[in-house]
Formats: sequence, structure tokens, C-alpha cells
Amino acid sequence: MNHPASNSRRNFLKSAGSALVLGLFLPTFSRFGDAEAATNTQINTWLTVGSDDSITLTIGSSDMGQGANSGLAQVLAEELVVDFARVRTVQGAPTLVSPAPIGTAINTVGSGVTRNNFWKMRDAGAIAREMLVQAAMNAQADQTRSNYTLANGVVTHSPTGVARTYGALAGAAALLTPPASAQLLPDSAFQLIGKTLPRTDIPNKVDGSAKYGLDIRLPNMVYAVIKHCPTLGGTLASTPVKPAGVMAVIPTKVVAGTARGVEAVGNVNAVAVVGTNTWDAWQAAKRLTVSWKLPSNAASLNDAKFLSDATALAGNAPTFVAGGLNPPGTLYTVEGSRSAVSTALAGASKTVEATYTLPYVAHACMEVLNCTVDYVAGTKCVVYAPTQSAKNVLSLVATLTGLSADKITINTTYLGGGLGRKAETDFISQAVQVGMALQRPVKLMWPREEDFTHDQYRPMGLIKAMAGLDASGQIVGWSYRNVSPSILAQRGLALGASGDSQGIEAANGLPYNFGQRVTEYVTHPSPIPVGFWRSVGASLNTFAVECLIDELAAAAGQDPYQFRRARLTNPRWIAVLDAAAQLGGWHTPVAAGRARGIAIGGAFNSIVAEVVEISNVTSTGLTVNRVSVAIDCYLAVNPGAVEAQITGGVVHGLNAALYGRQSFVNGAAQKKNFSSSRMIRLQEMPAIAVTIIPNPAVADRTQTIGGVGELGVPTFAPALANAYFKLAGKRMRSLPFFPNATMGGL
Amino acid sequence: MNVTLNVNKVNYTVSVTDGSMPLLWVIRDLIGLTGTKYGCGIEVCGACTVMMDGQAEHACVVDVSSAVGKKITTVEGLSSDRSHPAQKAWIESQVPQCGFCQPGMLMSVACAMNAGHHGSEITKEVKNLCVCGTYPRIRQACSKL
Repeated sequence: MNHPASNSRRNFLKSAGSALVLGLFLPTFSRFGDAEAATNTQINTWLTVGSDDSITLTIGSSDMGQGANSGLAQVLAEELVVDFARVRTVQGAPTLVSPAPIGTAINTVGSGVTRNNFWKMRDAGAIAREMLVQAAMNAQADQTRSNYTLANGVVTHSPTGVARTYGALAGAAALLTPPASAQLLPDSAFQLIGKTLPRTDIPNKVDGSAKYGLDIRLPNMVYAVIKHCPTLGGTLASTPVKPAGVMAVIPTKVVAGTARGVEAVGNVNAVAVVGTNTWDAWQAAKRLTVSWKLPSNAASLNDAKFLSDATALAGNAPTFVAGGLNPPGTLYTVEGSRSAVSTALAGASKTVEATYTLPYVAHACMEVLNCTVDYVAGTKCVVYAPTQSAKNVLSLVATLTGLSADKITINTTYLGGGLGRKAETDFISQAVQVGMALQRPVKLMWPREEDFTHDQYRPMGLIKAMAGLDASGQIVGWSYRNVSPSILAQRGLALGASGDSQGIEAANGLPYNFGQRVTEYVTHPSPIPVGFWRSVGASLNTFAVECLIDELAAAAGQDPYQFRRARLTNPRWIAVLDAAAQLGGWHTPVAAGRARGIAIGGAFNSIVAEVVEISNVTSTGLTVNRVSVAIDCYLAVNPGAVEAQITGGVVHGLNAALYGRQSFVNGAAQKKNFSSSRMIRLQEMPAIAVTIIPNPAVADRTQTIGGVGELGVPTFAPALANAYFKLAGKRMRSLPFFPNATMGGL
Repeated sequence: MNVTLNVNKVNYTVSVTDGSMPLLWVIRDLIGLTGTKYGCGIEVCGACTVMMDGQAEHACVVDVSSAVGKKITTVEGLSSDRSHPAQKAWIESQVPQCGFCQPGMLMSVACAMNAGHHGSEITKEVKNLCVCGTYPRIRQACSKL
């Protein structure tokens, strides 16, 4: 079965030159919820077939190592019927025009690039291909489509053997009106989709030539290093005197759109120290004495207070009232009925109750936050940034500078990790402020210590859950209450009746037979800045859900895999669970001194199960020997890239589960570098195996393709905790396992 | 003060405020070779690893004064055409994700090779941090070296 492409004609433009240029209007998804959806995010793509036979795909999504741009080029090459190596990808720039025209940058979030653009790329490739064939048919004066064959960018007229390259046809094709649709290739003809192909970004990443934000160098550029008030919410009491040997000390403030909790709009919460190189500026910043005015609530910004507030709200919180903003500490009913669950639990033969706590966690991207700005008043503002949200950056720069969009250029560099942190724009706004004050090119860098202590953290959370079993071990009631600071509410968005869509991710709609269920969400009042961290709410909820399921299995005296399998109601989830169990050797005896744990979860329309095998549990550490992962993302474009992303997600989840925690004392973040925020090194990397549920024989465009980038994270921690219970005999309900672990030098 | 450094077989003379400036910032900001990365500044992550007289050094904590007269190699100097065996293995095994740690990773591998190590011996030596978790492919790539 083939699928007709369905782009409307208004989405396509063509150039008057000798190249065939197609613009695609690609609506995409917003992870920021409905409130922002109206103003946010379009992926736009610019496809050029040059008369020199070049094929260029301009993509507005950011490269942070996920390989998605390379994957989209792979899809396009398939439908265009050209070798993958011939498609060159170019980073797109953003625009303020709405709806955004072709070739512009978007926000790279929500594990969304591939899944939101797979069909659009196929449509684009098919339409371009058929326009090129039409040009050949016109040149040949034979309009019988079946008389033409295609191979690697050459259209051959079979009866005569006359061959024409895409480059030779591009000029004539550009004069044609793009068809509204074109026949897609049958799945059985795929040469590229579903194949592991080498990523286009990799060669530049082995010789130092890949330019990250931190690598930007401009003529006449100076270097700025940020120094925030160590206490969150603190503001500058008086402008410091510029020390000798320093070019400038420039106060920076929190601007609209970047305010988070205690870091309110207008707060002058940092100074930038400017010098002729990074080191001199940084040393001067360290030496600089700055007088700060601390926030009145600083003494309440403590881990213990956050936990006691959460505990109180888990017991009692006022319910949501429709209309307007509800204050922090409001209870939202996500799904189900508390009274029905209470009745069910009262009749249960056995109940299990547990409280799970998770900490604030920093992103700690390998590349610290940074941004380079070249500003000339009234004339231009050129920004170079490792950003996941070039479109938001453009809006911000226009507001801050007052320049019209045509005088602003946003260059998205490679990102040395994004993890959600580089979707924020606080560091960009600081660089623009400094650039405007200096009126010369400047690169602003956050030292690692600033990056750790002024993050927008993965929210902490306390989850109080209870479930009941009947005499036969069936679950009759499921009560789940998540108390956590809301990312969306902190950004001033009014939450609807079901709370924060990000905060409840992977908590609701679970395909388990729970009998009666109630899922609730309570907004925690902590004003510590929070943000999107790889897998967002699923990183908290899947931990609590899958740990409680494991506790229920133990209470029922059943094998944790079989217990889940018998209660899952979705065949795709069962298949993923089976695949992970098979891969992880669940059905074979585990080696002496080891134990396995299992967990399953869904997020971003994908399903993932993991089996984790551990040993050597002590009070200060444990060994993760093996991790086995199964994923169903419906359709994998580049299985090797999927495997890499899942592996990366597992490591991200592993680092967080074992060691990840930011803690606060009187409003000051305590973990300041990798030395106190440990991560695993090569020698500690467990064996890992990833299996991908095979692609459908014929992909159906009405089915949702799942995300991959964030999917390795959520199921790791519960699978680990469940293995820990098996081996050590006790439940680990509070993450991380080893909050005080440190990391020595090399 | 002026210092002259030999980096990738080229002599560079640069002006520094004093000799305690770490080699990393001299290489990046003053010489302009940006392949060597800043990650932690405290010799924990290894993103700044360079080869100095054949040995792995963490440029974020090496005073520039102590690098004078030494032969320094950065990732840009591994080869002119990605032909160093480690670079070839890295491409073949599709190791990098974000890629930010990989220059330091490759320099640590090159230094281990320089010391006569092969395969799993190299993976015992290389302790650089990779937040993306490319470790399994690093192991695979090193197995070819």
C-alpha cells in the first residue's frame, strides 16, 4: 500500500533560479503545553536540488548528539532516490513570521525531531522527485510515467536509454507548479529507512573541527565570565568597582520570559566580568567582592523544608478551583476518583503503601552554558548559541535590542549536550545585555560552578502511593499522589484541572489493570528554578509507579515480570516487556551474588522496558553489571542511532539514580562540580544490549511514531531499585542511592 | 610576558598576564585552537586532555610556563585528514553523540597507544567523562586499536 502525500500547495514555494527549491511547512509539537502551542514551534525545511547535482536539506532543529538531522536526511534521500551521502544538511535559522516560512529554526525538545517530521520528509522527497521526473518527461516529450526509472539522482527514459541527472533537470523542474501530493515509495522498496547508516555529524567530531558555542571566535572579541549571587533570588546591592586589569564589570538582570521562581523579573542577580581572555576574566570574577542583597525567604530554601512541605501536602492539600491561577499547594485530580479507590482499598485483602522521594537534579551538560553576541546599536545583533530553541532566542533578542528581525541573526552552533537546559534562554539574555553594554563582540561563559549552581533543575518530588490486592493477587485499587514543583506554573502558565502536563507524564493512563484508580498532582511551593530535564516528569513518575508495582508483586508472592505481564492491558507493552525479559535473561538463573530487576514505562509515545543486573552492594556503592533494554517506537529510521540514544539515556538515568542530586542550604546550591556530583566513567559502564521492536511491514501514517532521545532514562531507576531489593532485601524509595558520592581527579 | 609554545609542530608566541595561566586557555583563546575543550577546570572530566612530550596532560591545570619547550599535540594535530587509527576507529564505530568530550577522549586514547597499550589495555587507562554515555562504542572502537 502506498500513501499519498498530502501537503497543500500553499506550503510550497519555488525559486526562479536554476535550482529546484522546495519549502515545506511542517507543523510540530510543543512540549510546553497548550498555553504556548499557539505561538510556538514550526519545523521548516528547505530542500534545494542544485544544477550542480547538489542536494541540500536545511533543517532548523539543533544537533546535540541525537543524530536526528542526519536521520531526516536519510528519510529524504530515500524518497528522492539518491545515495544518502549526497544529501548535505545545513543548520536553519529562525524567524518571527507566523506561520513561519520555509527554512527556519524551531525548538528541539520532546524527543520530537524525527517522529514529527518523518512523513513530512517523505512527502517532500516524493514531491521533489516527481517534479524532477516531470521535467524529464517534458524534455523527452513522453508523458508515460512508467517509461522512466530512477537511480541515485538520475532519471532514465527506459525506451531510449536517455539519462538525465537531477542537476540537469533542476532548472526546468523549478518552473513547474509543485503537485499537491505525490506517490510515496512502497515500504518494500526501502533502501535507507530502517538501516543503520553513518551519521553526517560524526567526522567533524573526531578532529576538533565541530564548532560548539564555546568555540566561537570573532574579530575583536572579548571574553565575559558570569558571576551570580550564590544565593538564589539574591540581587546586587551595589555595583562593584571595576578592578584593575579588567575591561568591565556589567550587572545583568533577569528579563521577562526567563524568570523562574525566586529568580524574578528585574532581579539583577549576576555580574559579568569582561577581559581579554577567559582565564583572566574568570580569575578577576573569582577575586571580585560583590555585595548582594539576599531574598527574605532565603532561610527557608532548604532540602529539609522542601521535604516537610511535600510531606504535608501529600497528606492534605486544597483542591483545584476552575478559573484563574491556583496557588502553589493545589491538588489536581488527573484521572479517576478518590472515593471509588478508597472503597476499593477498604475491601482489599492486602494493601501496600509507600512514599518515594526524588531530588532536584542538575543537567550538567558537558559544554557549559555560553553565548556569543556581536551587537552594534541600531544596526545589528548577531548571536551564536548552543541552543535548543533558536526561535525563542530570536524573540528574546528582538525584545531586548528593539531591533527588527531582519537586523538579527541567530546562529545555532553544535551543542555539547542539551538535555533540556539549552532550551532555556537565561544565558542568552545575559550575553545580549553584555553585548549591548560593550558594543563589541563578546563571548559569555558560565564556569562549571555557575552551571551547576544556577541551573533550572529537574524538579524534586514526593510521591505517596497506595495499592490493594484481592485474595487472588489482582490489583483492586491504585492511589497515586505526586507532589512536585510545577515547571509550567513556575513559568506563569495557568494549569488546567489535571495539573501540569509535564509533571504527570507517565503517571496517568497506565495500561495496567488497576481496578479503581486515582492519580493526583499537587504543586509544591518551592521557588527553586525548575526546568525540562531529559524525560521530564517521566523520570519521577516511572520510578514511583514501577517500584510500587514491584512491591505489589512481592506482596502477592509473584515473580515481578509475570506479575506485570498478567496485569498489563496493552499488547504492545506486553511485547516490550517480553523482549526486555528475554534479552536480560530473566528466564535463566542469575549468577551467584547478582540480582535482576525489571521495569516498564511509556513516554513520548514510545514504550521501554529495562532489565538491570547488579552485584557488590555496599553502603557506598554497587556494581551495575548489565542493562537490557527493549523499545517500541513504532518506527526506527536509523536503528544504530536509536541504540546510541537509548544507551545514552540509560547512562543519564544511571548517573542520576546512583548519584544525581542538587541540595540547597539557605538558598545556595551545594554541588558545584563533577567532583561532588559523580558520574560513571568508562570502567564502570555496564554491558548494555538494546533491542528494537521491528518496524511495521507497512508504516501507517495515522499511527504515532514514538520518541527516542529521552526514553532510556525513566525505566532505569526503578529497574535498579527493584534489583537492589532482590539482592539487598530492602526497598530503596529515595533517590539517589549514594547522595554523598564524590569523584576523584584523573 | 611572552611565551612560545610548540603546538602541533608549530611555534606560537603569545602574550600572557603571567605564567600561571592554564595551558587550556592559552591554546583556546590566545592560539585559537578550539578542539581542546573546557569541561570542569579541576582535572576531573578530561575534556581538556592534550599530549605533552608523549604524555597525557590535563590542560586546565597545567601552567603555561611549564609547557614551554614541550611538544604539545591537540586533537587538531592527531592527523590532518582524520587518519589517526583512533580517529578512524571512532568514525567506524560511530562513537560521538554530542561530541564535546571526544577530543579529550581521543587524546587520552592516543596517549595510551603512545605508551604501547592496545585494546582493553587502553580502556583501562581512559578515564575521561562522557555525559552522553558513549562508553560501549568507545570500548568497541578501542578493541580495534
